[in-house]
Amino acid sequence: MDFDIQYTREQEEFRREVRAWLDENANCPPELGEIPIEPDNMSREMWLWARDFQRKLGAKGWLYPLWPREYGGGGLTQDQDIIIKEELQEKKYPVAYTMANMAMPAIYVYGTEEQKQRFLQSMLQGDKIPWQLFTEPSVGSDLASLITRADKDGDDFIINGQKTFVGGHHDPDYLWTLAVTDQDAPRHQNIGAFIIPGDLPGITIKTLDLVVREGKRLISFDGVRVPREYLIGEETQGWRVAQTTLEVEHGAAGFVEQRDTLLEEVVKYSKDSLRGGQPVSRDPFAQQELVGLLIESNIQRLLGLRNYHMFNTNQPGTYHGSQNSLIGKDLTMKAAERILNALGPYALTNDDKWGPLDGRVEYHFRHELASNHRGGTTDVQKLIMARRIGISRTQERAAPTQTTQAG
Amino acid sequence: MDLSLTTAQEILRDSARDFLAQECPRSFVKEVDESETGFSPELWQKMAELGWIGMVIPEEYGGGGNSFMDLAVLYEEMGSACISSPHHSSVILGGLALLDAGSDQQKRDILPSVASGQRILAFAHTEPDYGWGAESINLPATRRNGGFVLNGTKLFVLDAQVADQLVVVARTGSGGSPEEGVTLFLVDKNTPGVSSRIVSGWTGDKMNEVVFDNVEVSESAVIGQVGGGWPTVERVLDRGGIAMCAYIVGGLQRLLDITVEYSKNRIAFGVPIGTFQRVQDWIIVIVNDLESARWTTYEAVWKLDENRPDAGLAIAMAQVVASEGYPRSAEASHHVHAGIGIDKEYGLYLYTKKARTLLSYLGDPVHHRKRVARFLDM
Repeated sequence: MDFDIQYTREQEEFRREVRAWLDENANCPPELGEIPIEPDNMSREMWLWARDFQRKLGAKGWLYPLWPREYGGGGLTQDQDIIIKEELQEKKYPVAYTMANMAMPAIYVYGTEEQKQRFLQSMLQGDKIPWQLFTEPSVGSDLASLITRADKDGDDFIINGQKTFVGGHHDPDYLWTLAVTDQDAPRHQNIGAFIIPGDLPGITIKTLDLVVREGKRLISFDGVRVPREYLIGEETQGWRVAQTTLEVEHGAAGFVEQRDTLLEEVVKYSKDSLRGGQPVSRDPFAQQELVGLLIESNIQRLLGLRNYHMFNTNQPGTYHGSQNSLIGKDLTMKAAERILNALGPYALTNDDKWGPLDGRVEYHFRHELASNHRGGTTDVQKLIMARRIGISRTQERAAPTQTTQAG
Repeated sequence: MDLSLTTAQEILRDSARDFLAQECPRSFVKEVDESETGFSPELWQKMAELGWIGMVIPEEYGGGGNSFMDLAVLYEEMGSACISSPHHSSVILGGLALLDAGSDQQKRDILPSVASGQRILAFAHTEPDYGWGAESINLPATRRNGGFVLNGTKLFVLDAQVADQLVVVARTGSGGSPEEGVTLFLVDKNTPGVSSRIVSGWTGDKMNEVVFDNVEVSESAVIGQVGGGWPTVERVLDRGGIAMCAYIVGGLQRLLDITVEYSKNRIAFGVPIGTFQRVQDWIIVIVNDLESARWTTYEAVWKLDENRPDAGLAIAMAQVVASEGYPRSAEASHHVHAGIGIDKEYGLYLYTKKARTLLSYLGDPVHHRKRVARFLDM
């Protein structure tokens, strides 16, 4: 076994190239201001700069280094991908949030050649930003019971419905979504998957007032006419198409982040801050909490490596994707609890004078409440794990749809 | 980066798995567990023939010169079968202490017979004032007539009941820190004044009380420097610790396998109990403990083999994860198994006993978290 990313001389050369290029290109102009902790506070000007930077990354093939070159990806190796991610992590730059990594695998598997050329190309190059719209006001974990409808009208579909807790910042180019295409078909055979231009008439986007301001929207489709060319896969194949996305969203692809920078800084803060004349980190209780967190974070990092290794060596996983997701979600909740235990009320404030880490701890405390259910709650992850372990319902007992009510 | 086993390691894993499935079914493990000494000379002999005993001892001392990753592969299989043997005490703790600090003569005289299994060592570290740090080493070894006299009690010493010799961690002096003044001795168990008895109880390995009553040993019994033994102890405990983590990973894998199997076959309310989400939750506890222990262990083993400066940190983390996870998962398995879980023939209890015994062996999780904090200058 070898946990090291091995770098050859050529790869070190490549790292220098990446670093030099980033030093040149990843500097957000100071007149655009500080990069905000909370994504929604990013100005349109900064977001436009970030989009532009993403296009430059895309043109280099460094935005999606592992995707094939023929569709606009980098066509690079695993190790090069890691080098790029490591160098990007070292750089502080604003990110124009995109959910292309969710939509693209599904389009790659189920899209026509023409669709691949059109949609993949523009996403891989960073030119177009898709948002993913799965959750509805009354449909979360039980995604297959979604209500939004796509009614056929000649060669077009007319879409009506709402999606919520979805999206990113400023304007989306595409909306990656699901809608019921056959009101009479049974569950799982009644849905189509669409990649819809974000500016079609009838689409309205409303910002939600949430505890964390990270670009979550309520999006309404009001008689939106969508031509067939935006349908991915067959008309009623959407559930299967969505599985490709969900597998990625549930962590199957793994990750190679080597550092938990928030935790590193919290530990440093605990060493530098005195309580009763000694560093917080020496308090036996605070120390056990923080070390516990370091160990849990280390597990999360290693399971990410495991999945990355499995994904990139074509070893089919079973429960591994959802396990990563579950452990990550648990970690993020536990982190807040443990940091609160260790730091007390300091953990709650983002006050200029008293708040630790420029308010990043305070932000994490709100952010973790959103990340625990994003892409499926912890309970849904457990459900999927149990299925993959092979102990769940052996025969799929399809639930009734909203319209068929079939038992 | 390549997180696969080598072909040689896969062969070792498969042959160990086959051998243990054949030779060490749960009925056999139970039989050994219930025997007076908790030791099967026949199994020990077969392990010697397979070349398992001396694996990490260098070839020049009659061992296999294998890496710790190789050892981890074997330990995982042994842990999965839940077999007890003095391998860990004798080779990993005792043998590696000699290899680390022993004189050339000691190594030449002793290691080949340790590697072949003919000689069995036990590692006498903990005392009634229980703990694995240097501050818990208080058994005095006092200079007399050019040698030393040992007095006191070592408690919860694994495998002393079958050992020929004991590696004793004793105190020959005190300095500015508890780490100073610790000395290792190699003591024949039949030296006058040494007495050993098994401490009764529900333990996964036999634990002993070893009493030293004016035990005289010569200068040649000292392993390494007088007063400078602690760094050796630390290195030995690291190696012993990570080997035990691999053993635990195997145990967790088997716990998962038997619990999943049972949940598929046991019918209640007309369906397999595994279809109940409350039952699934217990199984997910096990699969999470398993994978967490597995990957923290593998990375730590790899760092040890590679001589990474942060190997000690990785090992301490793995020890927390593995030793906490094993008893928690054993408990989860009992929740799923209910009545059959305490049936001795079924044998789940063998894993539970082992998990509880290993929780504090070589240091409990709080001890290892404190070590992590020290590694990180907290």
